[in-house]
Amino acid sequence: MNIITCFKVVPEEQDITVKPNRDISFEKAPMTISAYDLNCIEAGTQLAEANGGNVIGISVGAKKIDDSKLKKNVLSRGPESIFMVADDKLENIDTYQTANALKAVAEKIKDYDLILCGEGSADLYAQQVGPQLGQLLSLPAINSVSKITLADGKAIVERTLENELETLEISLPAVISVTSDINLPRIPSMKQILAAGKKSATIWSAEDAGIGNLSATLGVIETKAPEQMDRKKDIVQGDSEEAIKSFITKIQEVLK
Amino acid sequence: MKVFVFAENQKALLELCCGARQIGERIEAIVINSQDDKDTEVADKVWSIPQQDNAMLEDYTETIAALLEREKPDLLIFEPTKRCKLIAGRLAAMAGTSVMTDLIELTKEGEGSHLVYGGAAIRKEKLNTSLAIATIGPGVLQGSKETGKGEIELFPFVEPIRKIKVLNKEQKPKLSVNLPSAKRVIGVGRGIAKEEDLGMIRQLADVINAEVGCSRPIAEAERWMPKETYIGVSGLMLAPEVYMAIGISGQVQHTVGMNRSKVVIAINKDKNAPIFGQADYGIVGDLYKVVPALLDQLK
Amino acid sequence: MSDDRFDAIIVGGGIAGTVTAYLLAKEGLEVMLVERGNYAGSKNVTGGRIYSHSLEKIMPGFAQEAPVERKITREKISLMTEESNVTVEFSSTRLGEQGSDSYSVLRGVFDQWLASKAEDAGVQMVTGIRVDDLIVREGKVCGVIAGEDELEANVTILADGVNSLLAQKLGYRGELAPHQVAVGVKEIIELSAEVIDNRFNCREGEGTSWLFAGIPSAGKVGGGFLYTNKTSISLGVVSTLSELIKANKTLPQMLEDFKSHPSIEPLLKGGKMMEYSGHLVPEGGFHMVPKIIGDGVLVVGDAAGFCINLGYAVRGMDFAVGSAECAAKAVLKANKAQDFSAGFLQCYQSFLDESFVMKDLKHYRNFPHFLEETPRIFNGYPGMAADIMTDLFVVTGNPPQPMMKMMMKHVKNMGMLNIAKDGWKGVRSL
Ligand SMILES: Cc1cc2nc3c(=O)[nH]c(=O)nc-3n(C[C@H](O)[C@H](O)[C@H](O)COP(=O)(O)OP(=O)(O)OC[C@H]3O[C@@H](n4cnc5c(N)ncnc54)[C@H](O)[C@@H]3O)c2cc1C
Ligand SMILES: Cc1cc2nc3c(=O)[nH]c(=O)nc-3n(C[C@H](O)[C@H](O)[C@H](O)COP(=O)(O)OP(=O)(O)OC[C@H]3O[C@@H](n4cnc5c(N)ncnc54)[C@H](O)[C@@H]3O)c2cc1C
Ligand SMILES: Nc1ncnc2c1ncn2[C@@H]1O[C@H](COP(=O)(O)O)[C@@H](O)[C@H]1O
Repeated sequence: MNIITCFKVVPEEQDITVKPNRDISFEKAPMTISAYDLNCIEAGTQLAEANGGNVIGISVGAKKIDDSKLKKNVLSRGPESIFMVADDKLENIDTYQTANALKAVAEKIKDYDLILCGEGSADLYAQQVGPQLGQLLSLPAINSVSKITLADGKAIVERTLENELETLEISLPAVISVTSDINLPRIPSMKQILAAGKKSATIWSAEDAGIGNLSATLGVIETKAPEQMDRKKDIVQGDSEEAIKSFITKIQEVLK
Repeated sequence: MKVFVFAENQKALLELCCGARQIGERIEAIVINSQDDKDTEVADKVWSIPQQDNAMLEDYTETIAALLEREKPDLLIFEPTKRCKLIAGRLAAMAGTSVMTDLIELTKEGEGSHLVYGGAAIRKEKLNTSLAIATIGPGVLQGSKETGKGEIELFPFVEPIRKIKVLNKEQKPKLSVNLPSAKRVIGVGRGIAKEEDLGMIRQLADVINAEVGCSRPIAEAERWMPKETYIGVSGLMLAPEVYMAIGISGQVQHTVGMNRSKVVIAINKDKNAPIFGQADYGIVGDLYKVVPALLDQLK
Repeated sequence: MSDDRFDAIIVGGGIAGTVTAYLLAKEGLEVMLVERGNYAGSKNVTGGRIYSHSLEKIMPGFAQEAPVERKITREKISLMTEESNVTVEFSSTRLGEQGSDSYSVLRGVFDQWLASKAEDAGVQMVTGIRVDDLIVREGKVCGVIAGEDELEANVTILADGVNSLLAQKLGYRGELAPHQVAVGVKEIIELSAEVIDNRFNCREGEGTSWLFAGIPSAGKVGGGFLYTNKTSISLGVVSTLSELIKANKTLPQMLEDFKSHPSIEPLLKGGKMMEYSGHLVPEGGFHMVPKIIGDGVLVVGDAAGFCINLGYAVRGMDFAVGSAECAAKAVLKANKAQDFSAGFLQCYQSFLDESFVMKDLKHYRNFPHFLEETPRIFNGYPGMAADIMTDLFVVTGNPPQPMMKMMMKHVKNMGMLNIAKDGWKGVRSL
């Protein structure tokens, strides 16, 4: 049983800064695993632990996603190997390009039974790559899955929607997008981290993967931090009795 | 511009059709088994697909694809539900395009804006393919008057190649609170130490006539409150008259969901908490001292 | 070598641990370094100046390659009262000469660079893991325990910083007492390089170190510091824990007041606070060095108390490097002999004694003590200096007094004898 888990590499959100002209800057933001893809990797690892099998992490993006710390981080969480297309031609690609690039990687890996995606990427949160990838591979695709059990060539999944809960049966191979409450990602142990150092990662260029001239379907016009609302910022310091009193006087006006 | 509209809920369909008038000249709705003339009042044409027994909404994807292929609209908009996002994604892959999801703005020129980086930024983008697909909240495009032509055309069902079997389906219990329409909202965050302390917050909510929502970790990590009550980029987007953040640090992912509130009040013991930068009134103090005092004095 | 066994395991990815690991791996030993932060340096705090002499020996010309901030070429020391500030400034090309040069650094980036050097040398880095305990068999340390995992090594090196819980677990030291530690809080405030160059009168790439005695620490033993980085300023206050208990202000409040002092505020104008941190500083110096050698174990850096607190300035990073070098030498020797007993590892002590580490610690051995005995440095002299300057420069229309007479008035207030005594004690303690 081979399980592919897709993880996106994104700039660490907490370290993204806003410039005075509302442009955003990634200067201080190291690359990290997209938050919900930790759940995705964990889901793959748990399935492999329960059913036997092999987890393979895959990712596509600009050259900088090929980072040794980051790969070690992924590999310490269960996957046996990583396959990446890391090429500056794939900088800031749209979801259609991403799904096509992932398809190319999956086809190179060939032998797989299940592909897992996260709920949405931490940067775009488009929630699109999973459904698109499934369609491109001509496989069944499903999203919003909060539980997976595997049984002879099938997956039984629970799906949490806005107003309903569904239990579905899907034949494998399939592409399943999992929610962030499917599990609690593990904190890798010392031995898992050490072992990760010895696992393998294969990095391809866009040419290697045969996606050298994928063109964009989406143009980005601008990316700006939202304008800040002007707030009074009348902040009382400290929680002494008088301080609390003065705070209450202020908000009583508002709450009248 | 010819705009097609598809939604999971009829109310959303009607609102999206009315709203779509702002950006398109011709609005056509895709409806599973249209039988209600409400649809025809808002759209210039209604494409009615015969309902299939035991079919999921997703099973109509191939049918919609065939319709798009034949009618070639410029824009297809969806209600932003999980099912619709799956359908939209599969259609995009078939049509060779991407989807602009969760738009907070969409112009006549087809430029869509949506939040990226957890709400730290708004990205304006445009699809350069002949068909553009977007998911957009019904409230975003403020509806104009209803101008339907009342035309209905049947479009035959196309059998999907790969079917997913539904084993079971149940309704989620309905939530009793309706946060989006609440005038006053209290948001609680990790600052509360244990689940029982929510009692004190609820009492305060009663006193000031507010509903209680929370930050994501309270719902997802602690599970002290239902998932449907967390506020922020991946949860509820609210704009109440008063929002009171108690023990919430104020990360962008949360604040994008509340920063359109008229007045923001913050209680946090860390004077450097970012929430204070977005508050009208605030107190740097222990909520376990401040909340009881509020209860005592606002009663 | 089996998967779970190393020649050496190092606990703590600060400067001391990383340099030890680097030196051992370079000589071909199998080395693992465990750091509890998500990356080396993620939890580390320093004022911001590293004296290069010790690292220069290990990585010649490191400052060219390492992400250092600015070369310090301007030294300022101030005596500060609430409304005034008397400053002595020293700038000299000698400050920048190789061997006596020093640099402002930000640990977040600097430690990561050091860690990458160690990894390149073959160190297996394990980050995000806290070592909970040591494997001890018949008094011999045989490795580390983290969660469920145990890993063994011939020698374990504790580089886990000032509050070394592991050294405590071995019984090498007790819990830290208030008089043994100082506490520092620090902010990093972002400003553009040009603004810093202008405000601090710096040439490009060069910077200022500025220390303050008096009001930053509310007249208690301690003080303030300010270092210029490339595009930010590190600004903080240090105070001895035992004094802090007596002070009527909290440390964060002291930092707030320091920041809004009339002679500091304009320097920070328009700056954006990037980072706020607090950390302990070992205080006791020579007298506080605990047991640092055992069967299969050595202690280095802050964990060994190798740090000097001059009240308003702290020096520990070069000691961290120096002690790391001595420990590495000892381990290499032990590895050759395949003898990791406490007896054999005593060579660590000899290497330390021969190095600047012990020499400097000895030299300053009475200094912390002197500071605590002499509160006037923090609560008397800044005021006196300010009074003298006020009389010199503030023109009120009252008849001026001859300078000598005027000065003597203030000196008398302080007590001539006190000043002489303090001067004598101070000189002796150096
Ligand atoms: C892709 C993505 C999407 C996300 N979407 C959302 C979202 O939609 N909504 C959301 O909320 N989050 C979201 N998050 C998480 C978000 O980044 C923050 O982690 C979260 O909002 C923090 O919640 P908090 O403020 O309750 O907790 P914390 O950040 O832990 O803050 C707790 C606060 O309580 C204060 N406090 C503690 N004790 C007391 C006391 N006794 N009295 C007073 N104050 C006290 C502390 O000073 C602190 O400021 C998302 C994250 C990601 C990566
Ligand atoms: C406010 C302040 C200002 C200072 N100013 C200066 C200055 O200007 N110049 C100067 O030379 N020195 C200065 N110092 C002192 C200097 O920072 C320290 O002496 C130096 O950092 C010591 O290095 P170290 O490697 O021994 O310890 P640390 O840098 O403290 O590193 C210890 C490491 O061990 C890790 N660790 C701890 N326990 C565990 C565990 N159980 N498992 C795994 N990892 C663990 C920690 O996360 C940390 O990374 C200052 C200190 C402070 C606090
Ligand atoms: N560049 C990428 N590389 C690998 N997986 C990706 C990439 N982009 C998106 N994904 C996967 O698709 C999911 C949904 O992403 P998105 O459609 O961008 O919200 C993510 O959670 C990932 O699992």
